[in-house]
Amino acid sequence: MHRRTVILGVAASDSHAVANQLIAHTLRARGFQVVNLGTCTTVEEFAAAHRGHPDAEAVLIGSLNGHAYEDLRDLPAARARGLLGCPVIVGGNLSVGSHKQSADIERLYALGVHRVLGDAADLPAVLDELAARTSAGAA
Amino acid sequence: MTTATELPSLHESVAYVRQSGKPTAAEVLREARTAGRLALQPRCGVGSHPQMSTLLRDIEQHAAPDVLSVTIDAHTRLGRFDHARSVLDRNPADLNGYPLVTHGWRRGRELNEAVRAPLEIRHGSPDARVLFRTAVAAGITSFEGGGISYNLPYSKDVPLRRSLAAWREVDAACGELAELGLVVDRELFGTLTAVLMPPSVSLAVSVLEAVAAAREGVRCISVAYPQGGHAEQDVAALRAIPLLAARHLPAGVEVHPVLHEFMGVYPRERAHAEDLILYGALVARYGGATKLITKTYQEAYGIPDTRAIIDGLHLAARANSPLLAGWRLDEARIAEELEWILAEVDALVTPVLDSGLGLYDAIAAAFADGTLDIPFSASRHARSAVIPGRAEDGAIRILSAGALPLPRALRDRNTDALRTRPTDLYEALTKDIDHFPRLFGE
Repeated sequence: MHRRTVILGVAASDSHAVANQLIAHTLRARGFQVVNLGTCTTVEEFAAAHRGHPDAEAVLIGSLNGHAYEDLRDLPAARARGLLGCPVIVGGNLSVGSHKQSADIERLYALGVHRVLGDAADLPAVLDELAARTSAGAA
Repeated sequence: MTTATELPSLHESVAYVRQSGKPTAAEVLREARTAGRLALQPRCGVGSHPQMSTLLRDIEQHAAPDVLSVTIDAHTRLGRFDHARSVLDRNPADLNGYPLVTHGWRRGRELNEAVRAPLEIRHGSPDARVLFRTAVAAGITSFEGGGISYNLPYSKDVPLRRSLAAWREVDAACGELAELGLVVDRELFGTLTAVLMPPSVSLAVSVLEAVAAAREGVRCISVAYPQGGHAEQDVAALRAIPLLAARHLPAGVEVHPVLHEFMGVYPRERAHAEDLILYGALVARYGGATKLITKTYQEAYGIPDTRAIIDGLHLAARANSPLLAGWRLDEARIAEELEWILAEVDALVTPVLDSGLGLYDAIAAAFADGTLDIPFSASRHARSAVIPGRAEDGAIRILSAGALPLPRALRDRNTDALRTRPTDLYEALTKDIDHFPRLFGE
């Protein structure tokens, strides 16, 4: 049977490792093959990993230091070069400061992020939903 | 005449600090210790220069901490100066700290002159040489970090030999500055990856960094330890610091224990967060810390605003109340913890210090074979085979020691304390990490 694959990592300027390791374990326990690129991963590295695993359902990017937008600014350029053609899901603490605004999230969508998650526990459900949509589209 | 990119000489920087009339961080710490008072310091840093000046002034005006922080943004920490520049030009509020290198040393001096309290640079740079030179030129007298503690938690693929060599240059420059009459306080980041850090792992890394710093001529070393959440264990860890310094460092080096208020997952409700802040401050006082790095009730939500920082300082200051002078913790429990912590640290550092390799090679070799290790490393250059857990009583123990050379009795004591935990490792870790929100029923 085909093994579901995801690419996981933490954004380029961010070294928060704990949640990344816990998410990798949780998804592996659910049967996913997790290509975990770990902390401080640039868009370029995510794209290279996707080239190596073109069957990956999604790229999952954590960002806890508030720099998600700057760290993902190369995403549209990568897409324009035909890279990272799969859904990109972002989660964590996505902007600087303790008072969040919807604009912080909207500008991530504007970069081409498919889904912004508030809680990593939602990941399996979101991946299932995206997978169902893809197979429905293919049918 | 110097330009923004051309730094003044060390001589000129020392002369600048002298004529500024400001006390150095080392002087402030010594004075607090002599007075038997816990010195307080908040974390704070924003991208914009005018807003950083205002932030420092506001905190000083309303809470008068002993030392103020300039927390550096993550791009600058990793040497991504071009990113720091482009974000600063576009929207300074998108930076999670102050990009000192980008603003330059002259603006650093403006920050220094905006407040009475000495400044410390808090960051997370595996290679801090450019940042350090800029900080010294700005007249800043305290600088956090080390070749292990600012590598493994903060970057993915910087070899330890490289970060240790870079920090050796920083320490040697501190030695040179001390010869010129300016003692820079070097704070070691024993907090490491900040989550469920076993005290002996934190302290072993700090001992090695302190020995390295002292050899290069550093005269004032602050050893930071992260509050784990168990009062007696945390007090014992703080009390271990002067004992370890006496054992491993030359007599002329001044050493200050520093407590970092809990660095893990914070409760979301303000009252619960404030309970934890006060608890940390009390642990710092009973543990004999010279300084406390404070947190705020907004910790669960992101970088705090000015009001929250000020409130956090006011709350922590309650630990200095004379009313608490007669209160005692369980001294027998503390003595027991202290004995075990010292035995574990000894088991970890002795093979490295006695290896016969140079200190830096011995440290790199030990991390490569796992005889030195930290949990949850961000870097590939530590194995992270060591797995911690929180015992029923709240103390942090070592569930799996990996290749750490802990004698059998020390291993057994750790694993025995964790017998009652859930058997699924990640269920157990998630529970341990969420300890405080769970304790408050959030």
